Amino acid sequence: MNKLDVRGMACPLPVVQVKRALESAQGELHVLLDDGAPRENVKRFAQGRGYQVHEEQLEDGFAFTITGPGVTAAREAIPAPAVAAGPTVMLIGSDRMGDGPEELGRILMKNFIMTLLEMNELPDRIFFVNTGVLLAAEGSEVVETLNELGNRGVEVLSCGICLDFFKKKETLAAGGVTNMFTIAETMLSARSVVRL
Amino acid sequence: MIKDGDFVAIFNSIHRVMEAERLLKDKQLKILLIPAPRALAADCGLAIRYAEDVRGEVEGALAAAGLLPRDLYRKNGDSFVKIGDENEQA
Repeated sequence: MNKLDVRGMACPLPVVQVKRALESAQGELHVLLDDGAPRENVKRFAQGRGYQVHEEQLEDGFAFTITGPGVTAAREAIPAPAVAAGPTVMLIGSDRMGDGPEELGRILMKNFIMTLLEMNELPDRIFFVNTGVLLAAEGSEVVETLNELGNRGVEVLSCGICLDFFKKKETLAAGGVTNMFTIAETMLSARSVVRL
Repeated sequence: MIKDGDFVAIFNSIHRVMEAERLLKDKQLKILLIPAPRALAADCGLAIRYAEDVRGEVEGALAAAGLLPRDLYRKNGDSFVKIGDENEQA
């Protein structure tokens, strides 16, 4: 039996943790979580992925039992080819999209990130590197969007060296911090990498 | 991204929407340049969102600068209601 305790964690961490656990879980997953946004976001995420959620109120939060029998059966019946395994990764290496006028590039990047909210298929992880990390820091107009993507199960991660370089480590406003080891490892094991 | 009651202004070119964004931000008005909702046709794919409480200031500034939007909508539940012709510019 797989157990996970995400009580006390701020959004979107509960969704991210549950997502990771579901990716490797066999059978049921039991999750302890706080009421409010974590409870709503995790439930919406799991149900959106076709899992069934049974919830039980506790004295200090909620206990979810998450089951996805259809998914488990399908995995056992048809072994997925190696190429289909691994996460879908998006690497955003700039706060601008494409070459050309800076102002247009920034508008296009912002527009692209906001448009992701309208997509049915989302990447598993988005890595921000170089000036891309500015998009996840205070003052960026897509912070709210990135946090919403986090609530939908997208892991938003910014390069620590880059945050340090731009002196934005203290003002990171969406997602978490990562390092090049994780970025390289994830990209090399990814099903697909979308680079912007 | 667009809350119930918010206004969505659609412009007829990328240059006008960028100019409008610059103008409104210079005046420190709380607006956001957003992808135009799929349901609303926008040539440039961008729109400016603002809330009721700054509507007068936003539209006043746009009118004074000759930058009134081509179309203006208000979010109402799941749909967008087009605001009357008096706010539009062909």
